[in-house]
Amino acid sequence: MIELLATRYAYALMFVLLGIGLYMVIASENLVKKLIGVNLFQTAIFLFFVAVAYVEVDGEPGGSPVVPATTEPAAGDLILASPLPHVIVLTAIVVGIALTAVGLALIVRIHAEYGTLREDTLREVRADE
Amino acid sequence: MSLVGYTLAIFVIVAALATAMFRDVLSAIIVFGAYSLGMAILYTLLLAPDVAMTEAAIGAGVTTILLLLTIAKTTRPTTDRLFESIDVPALFVVGAFVVVLGTQVLPEMYAVGDSEAPVWSNPEVTQAYLEQTYEDTGVQNAVTAVLAAYRGFDTFGEAVVVFAAGIATLLVLKREVFA
Amino acid sequence: MGGRYGGEHGDTYTESQVILTAVKIIAPFTLTYGMFMTLHGADTPGGSFQGGAIIGVTVLMLAFAFGIEPTRQWLKNSVIVSMVGGGVAIFIGVGLATIALGGSFLEYRLFFTVLGIPDGTKWGMEAIEVGGIALIVAGVVITLFFATAAGFTPARYRSTPEVETADDEVLSDD
Repeated sequence: MIELLATRYAYALMFVLLGIGLYMVIASENLVKKLIGVNLFQTAIFLFFVAVAYVEVDGEPGGSPVVPATTEPAAGDLILASPLPHVIVLTAIVVGIALTAVGLALIVRIHAEYGTLREDTLREVRADE
Repeated sequence: MSLVGYTLAIFVIVAALATAMFRDVLSAIIVFGAYSLGMAILYTLLLAPDVAMTEAAIGAGVTTILLLLTIAKTTRPTTDRLFESIDVPALFVVGAFVVVLGTQVLPEMYAVGDSEAPVWSNPEVTQAYLEQTYEDTGVQNAVTAVLAAYRGFDTFGEAVVVFAAGIATLLVLKREVFA
Repeated sequence: MGGRYGGEHGDTYTESQVILTAVKIIAPFTLTYGMFMTLHGADTPGGSFQGGAIIGVTVLMLAFAFGIEPTRQWLKNSVIVSMVGGGVAIFIGVGLATIALGGSFLEYRLFFTVLGIPDGTKWGMEAIEVGGIALIVAGVVITLFFATAAGFTPARYRSTPEVETADDEVLSDD
C-alpha cells in the first residue's frame, strides 16, 4: 500500500483532486463555485498527462524536453520527458481558459435575467414561470 | 519524489479542499489562485517547464482575474458562516468514485517515471520525436517542434477554437466590439 | 469614464499610488519577458502560448492600475481585432502557402526545397509561433478580459445606464 503510493504518487494525487473537483460541481449551490470545480477537475487531468510524460532513471529525474543541438544523438542517451503530452496540456490550458470565459459570460447573463446565482433559487424561479 | 514534492502535494490538496469548503466565493477564488500556483510548481518538478509557465500565467493569473471580475459584475453572497455544510449524498458518490479509482485503477498504472512505460519507451512516438527533432526542424525545444511542426494541424484547430470562444463570449454578452 | 458601456464600473476604480507605481515599473519588464519567451521558444522552454499569455496579462495589469475604461479607449478595437483575426489569417496563410508550393498543409520544408530559404523549416515554425499563436492568445486574453469587465447590460437598462450590481468592496482596485 505504502509502496504503491510512493511509486504512483502523482496518480493518487490526481484521483483525490478529481474527487474534490467533482464534489464541487455536484454540491456547490453557487454557479461560480461550480465553474471553479470544473477548473479544478481540469488541472487534475493536466497533472495526469504531465505525470505520464515524466521519466526518471534509478530515482534520478531526466531532463525537460530540450534536445541537444546535434543531428545524431546516441540512441538511449536522451533521458528527457516526452514532449507530446506537454503539447496536449499546453493547448488544453488555453482552450480551458477560453471555455471558462464563455461559462462566466453565461453566468453574467443568468444573473442579469434571474438576479441570482444560487442553483436552488434558480430552480424555484424557473418553476414559477 | 523529493520532500519538496510531497510538501507541495499536501499544499495542493489542502488548497483544493479549502476551495471546495469556503462558503465565501471571494475566498474560494483567492485560494484557487494559490492552488494553481502550487500546481505550476508541481509541473516544474515533473519536468514540464512549458506547461508550468502556461499554468502560472493563465491558471493563476487570467482565470483568477476573470472570476473576480464576474463576482464584481454579479453578486457575492454575504454569509456569516466560514465553511459550507457537507452534502452527504454528493460526498458518498464522490467517495465511491475515488475509492474505485484508487483500488482498481491505481495498481494497474505504471510507476511514475518508469522508463518502461509505453508512453515514454515507444520508439515511434516519444523516442522518434526526441531523436529526430533537431534533424527535422532545427529547433531544440521538442515541445515547440511537436506543437508547430509535427502536430501543426492540431494546433491550428486549437487556435481556431480559442478564436471561436472569444467570439462566443462577445455573442453571449451581446457586445459587438473586442475592446 | 462612461462612453460606450454606460460607465457601470466607474465606481469600482480607485486610484492607488502604490499599484500605479508598481505597475509602471513592472509592465515594461513583463512585456519584454513575454516577447523574449515568444521569440526564444525554439531553443529554450517557453514559446508562443506562454509568451502570448504574458503579453496579454501586461495589458490586464495596465487596466488594473489605470482603470478599465481608459485602457479600453487607449487600446483601440481595431488593434485587438487585427491581433486575433490577423493571427488566424497568418496561420492559415502559412498553411495554404505550403499547399500552393505543392506540398501538404504546413509542410515547412518546402520553404527550403522550393524557395531555397535556408533553415526554411525553422522560419516557417517561427512564423506560426510568433505571427500566429502568440497574437491569437494575447488578443483573446485581452478580449475575454474586456468582455467580462463590460458585463451584460440588459435591454431595459440600455437607455438609462443604472446597474444595481457592481459590489464596491469586492474589487476596489480595478
